[in-house]
Order: sequence, then structure tokens, then C-alpha cells
Amino acid sequence: MTTTATPVTSTSSSPAPAYNPKSESTTAKRIKSAIFHIIALALVAMVLYPALWMITSAFKPNSEIGGANNALWSNNFSFDNFATAMEGIGGVSTLTFFTNSLILAVGAVVGTVLSASISAYAFARINFPGRGLFFGMMIATLLLPFHVVIIPQYIVFQQLGLVDTYVPLLIGKFLAADAFFVFLMVQFMRGLPAELDEAARIDGAGHVRIFGSIMLPLMKPALISTSIFSFIWSWNDFLGPLLYLNTPEKYPLPLALRLFVDQTQSSDYGAMIAMSVLALLPVLVFFLVFQRYIVEGVSTQGLKG
Amino acid sequence: MIDRRKFLTTVALGTASAAFLSACGQSSSSGQAGTADKPVTITYTWWGNDDRAERTRKAIALFESKNPDIKVNGNFSDFAGYWQKRATEAAGGGLPDVMQWDLSYLRDYGQRNQLLDLGTVKINTDAFEKSLLPSGQIRGKTYGIPTSTNAFAVYYDPAKLASLGIAEPDGSWNYKEFNAFLAEVGAKGNGTLFGGTDYTGIWWNFNIWLRQNNIKAFTDEGKLGFSKDDLKKWWNLTADLRGTGAIVGEDKATQLLPKSPFGSNVTATEVTWDNFMAGYLADSGAKELKLVPVPSDDQDNLGLFLKPSMLMVASAKTKYKDAAARFIDFMVNDPEVGQIFKTSRGVPASKTQRDGTTFEGTDKLVVDYEKSIEKYLKDAPEPPIVGFGTLESTFKRVTQDLNYGKLTVDGAVDAWFKEAEDLIKQNA
Repeated sequence: MTTTATPVTSTSSSPAPAYNPKSESTTAKRIKSAIFHIIALALVAMVLYPALWMITSAFKPNSEIGGANNALWSNNFSFDNFATAMEGIGGVSTLTFFTNSLILAVGAVVGTVLSASISAYAFARINFPGRGLFFGMMIATLLLPFHVVIIPQYIVFQQLGLVDTYVPLLIGKFLAADAFFVFLMVQFMRGLPAELDEAARIDGAGHVRIFGSIMLPLMKPALISTSIFSFIWSWNDFLGPLLYLNTPEKYPLPLALRLFVDQTQSSDYGAMIAMSVLALLPVLVFFLVFQRYIVEGVSTQGLKG
Repeated sequence: MIDRRKFLTTVALGTASAAFLSACGQSSSSGQAGTADKPVTITYTWWGNDDRAERTRKAIALFESKNPDIKVNGNFSDFAGYWQKRATEAAGGGLPDVMQWDLSYLRDYGQRNQLLDLGTVKINTDAFEKSLLPSGQIRGKTYGIPTSTNAFAVYYDPAKLASLGIAEPDGSWNYKEFNAFLAEVGAKGNGTLFGGTDYTGIWWNFNIWLRQNNIKAFTDEGKLGFSKDDLKKWWNLTADLRGTGAIVGEDKATQLLPKSPFGSNVTATEVTWDNFMAGYLADSGAKELKLVPVPSDDQDNLGLFLKPSMLMVASAKTKYKDAAARFIDFMVNDPEVGQIFKTSRGVPASKTQRDGTTFEGTDKLVVDYEKSIEKYLKDAPEPPIVGFGTLESTFKRVTQDLNYGKLTVDGAVDAWFKEAEDLIKQNA
């Protein structure tokens, strides 16, 4: 290692490398670290390029976005796209779309966290008859593609007169219909030592108490990742709102975003990208606020076992 | 502006009156009617961008002020989502009362009895070209009324031609001359500007060429009306141009997506529908684009026709047939609606609406173009066969393979015919 590193360093800048083996190895380390960082930065640049493209495009005039334009930066820098995006669509303000998205996303988080954790507790800790069968059925719904159930579901909600309300979009979340999250929490709970429950039971705690005082606090990492995912999924959901909502005043952001691009007429890519940038902010904030809890949860877990 | 409270009251009123009327059991062949105090509420849905949403909102407000007994609840989505939503609603039996419609979906929904026969309600079609109406009819029943028309044209950018020192075309050209023109642009454009895209890849272009040669694209039984030789001749038209500067390469065109090569200022011409004008202007940032007729080897028969750029249809299950008919009549005939939409839906199909609208700038270019080809226009083709959308996209895909050099013309013809015949058999 040192033999290969020495000629390189001596030809470059180091004044007295020959008699100090310690500094040699630091230089070698530095070079290795520099190479590592350069590669890492190159990868980061590659991964972040689309995001950078999006942000810079938000400030470009429509005719300079996409197509034959390769330049990342334009001299015609302006906030016009943001102004157009904030104008709203068909008399509905953009703020309304944001509010609707937020209502749906927060509703989805609350519903999913509540219902999935309770169902998971039942599957993981209560030995009721047919548990295996029901667990299998729940997993089976994971395998069922969403597109298979769209039409039957639509007919049910339509007969109930619930089309054009948020009920079809949220009721599933409150009834633990997202099998993925239930499964995630069941797996997490199975990893928690059963001795904790037993100790609590000996102290006279029932299921409600065990769930509320022991399981929930220990499950924080699982709850947080569930929240993050259900927030993002709901925030990005397009098909559900498209099918169930008929009043523009109730539309969430993903529906509005599509309206700037219409191949049969004209497309305002600039406004769409500007709105995408704005639409990303809440998700980004949500993630940044909650992601440290995931790390925290995982690192403290070992102590409690 | 419809504010939220007014909107909610409207919905509440509408629902209440609907409930009240159905409770009274009042129903007739013409459906339920409203009064100014108790208006009925119909739903109207359309696809399009924010601009169309704004214009439609104005048109609805105007309709409501003229018809106080009817309220219209509008809702909109993008084109792709629009058809997903319609398919689901049709399966659930809940299509909106009145809908903006596309020609390629008319036969599909019409044959499945999802659409109202508009011949049974009162809509004034006196001001329509007689050659245009059959495009909304299937087996004698009128399912759609065209709102507006578009026609095929060759677009070109005069500024780009001037910079290359090429004279502007006047549109009286045959295919040989058109090819020579594309080649000249390609040669002078020197790799930065191409002549155009491969015009043989567009189904409608082929259809027009067939009409120029007096061949029907589809027989009355819904079979293919042309032979493999015809298609071979068509795809051989640009055989010498593929891979040269006359035609932009498929790899390059794909890189430019979602914009078109013409919208990206990579080609000097494009052959397509005349209502893409606004989109091309917005995408390319060009000052001016011009339109001339498509080439034809028979200058007396350009094969051109007016196609409904969109239609208005009603749901077969609507409870408010009369109100729906009045709204459709208003949207297609009223001159003030023409003033609101200009040519953003296409050129107004109804003469009443067209004459009542003042066209300026680009709008005028498109209207003038359709006027200039008036004497060449023939009957619009019937609504396309079921599965037409797939045929059209296969046509494009096969030509792309041709341009990539993956297929020979003979191979492409065989490939397309096989897929087309399978599809027609499936839907028969």
C-alpha cells in the first residue's frame, strides 16, 4: 500500500514524505477518502439530477422546457410559472387543492395508524379461533391487484350514494384495508418480547391496557414508517380521487397537476412543474420531521429488549 | 365566480328538487323538468387543460343565467384519466348526464347502449354541414353532435424556411414535390433542422391518401377496405427519405417526448390536425405558423374532410333528457359560446356559432384554412370501428420500427395486417 502511494505523493506536493510513515498513510487515506467522496458525489449528482432539472425548469418559460432544450439553466429566469400555478384551475384556487390533499393525507395517516395497529395487535397477540385463516386472507388481499377491484368497489360506493365524497377514499384506511401496513406491524410486534405482555397481564392489565401502555410506545418506529408511507401514498394517489370525486372543489393536487398538460390542446409544462415543486414541499417536510424518529426508534430498540 | 356557498346551495337545491320530483313520481318520456325556483341539476364533464376549464366555466355560467330552471355541475380531468373514469362509471351505471366525447370512443359506448339517442330529443342541427353529421351517427341513431371540426393540414414555420432560403409552399403539391421539399429542408438544415416526421406513420394521412385514390379504409361491414399492396405503396412513399435529413430519426423524436419534433423546433413541417396550432405555438415559442393543404397526386381530389374534433353526448340513463338536450343545443349553437371558446375546441361546427364568433390571430388562420379547403371537402368518415385506437397506435408503432430499420416495408405490412385482422375478428 505504502509503496504504491509514495511515488504519487512525492511527485505532487508533500514536502517531506520519505521519513514519516505516519503522514504517508494519512495521505494515502486522504486520497482514498477523496476518491470515495468524488464517486459518492457523482452518484448523488446522478440521483439528484432529475430533481435539479425540475427545480430549474420551474423557472423557465414553457418553450424552453423539454424537447430539444438540454440546458439546465435559462437566461429567461422568471416566477411566471409559479404565478400561473397559483392562479388555480377553472375557478378553484390552488390552495383548495392543497387543503384537500392535506385532509386526505392526514385522514389516511390517522386512519391507517389506528386501524392497522389494532388489527396487528389482534393478529400478533390474541389467540382467537381462525386466526391463521384470517391472517392468510389478509395476506391474500395483498396479492389482489387494485385494478381487479376497482369496478366492484365503485358499484358498491355508488349504490351507497357515497361517490363524490371522501368516504370511499378514507373508509378503507379506517378499517385496516391496507394489508401491507397490518402485515408490517404484525411482523414488528412479533419481534417484541412476549414476556412484557405476560408481566403486564400478571399485574392485572387487559388487552386494552397492554396495547395502549406497552405495545404502542414500543411500536413507535413501525408507526412512524406507516405514517410516512401512508402520507406519501395518499398525497400521490391519482386513480382513487379521479374515480370517486366529481366536484372540482374537492379535487386533490394530483388531479389538478394533470390539467396543465393536455396533448389534445396545449400544454403548460412550466406551470405543471412549478406546481409539482410546490406539491413536493409538504411531503419533504413531513419526511424530514419524521425520519429521525425511524432512526431513533431502531437505535433504542435494543435497549428495551 | 361561483363561490363556495352559492355552489353548495346549488347542489343542495338540485339534490332536494331531484328528490322532491322523484318522490312525486313525476316522470315522462322527456324526463324531469325544473323551474326557476326549483332548478334541476345536470352534470357535465369534459377533458382538457386549465384554459378549457376556465372557458367552460364561463359557458356554464352563461347557460345558467339564460336557463334559470337548470343548474349545471361541471367536472373535468385530463384526457387519459377521463376515459378510465368513464369506463368505471359506465360499468357502475353512473355516467354523467352530458359529456364531451371523442370520435374514437363513440362506437364503443354507442353500441353498448350507454349513450342517449339524440334523435329522440330536441337539438337544432340546421346550421350544421350535412356531410358532418353522419360522423356522430351509428346505424341511423345520432349519439353525438359535433361541437367543432378539424381538418388535416401541413404546418410549416415560415421563419425557419426563410432562414434556410427556401420559398414558402402554396399547398398545391403532389407527393413527389412534397418529398422533394422535405429533402431540400433536410439538406439545407444540415443535421440541426429536419424536413419533418415520417408522414406515412399517421393513420389519418393514410386514410386521406386512400380517399385520394377512391379507396375506402373500412367496408360497411367493418372490415378493411384496402389491400396489402395499397399499404405497401403508402409506406414506400418515404422509403428513400428514411434515414436522411428529410425525416427526423425515430431515436431523436423519442428523446424529445413529451414534445413533438415540430414543437421542439427540430423539424420545419408537420402533417396533422389543424387544431394543434395553439399547442405547437406554445411548445415551440414560434411567432407564426402557417397551414397549407396536404399533398395529392390528383389536385382535384385532396381527400380532405372535416372531422368532429369533439362531440357532445348524453348518458342513456339521464333523468333529465330535456335539460341535457337544451344544454347540448346551447353548447353547439350559441354564438356567445363560440366567442368564449374561439377555436380552442376546433372550428365551431354550427354555422350560427361560427358566424357569431370573431376570430383573430391564430384562430383566424385555422378558420381561414378550413374555409380555403371547403371546395375539396367530402363526407366525413363514419365513426371508427371498435378497437380503432389500437389499430391507429399499431400503425404508428410499425412505422417506428420501419424507421429504426427493424422491419422492411414488406415485413411491416405483414405485421400490421396480422394485428389488424386479429383485432377485427375479436371485435366482430
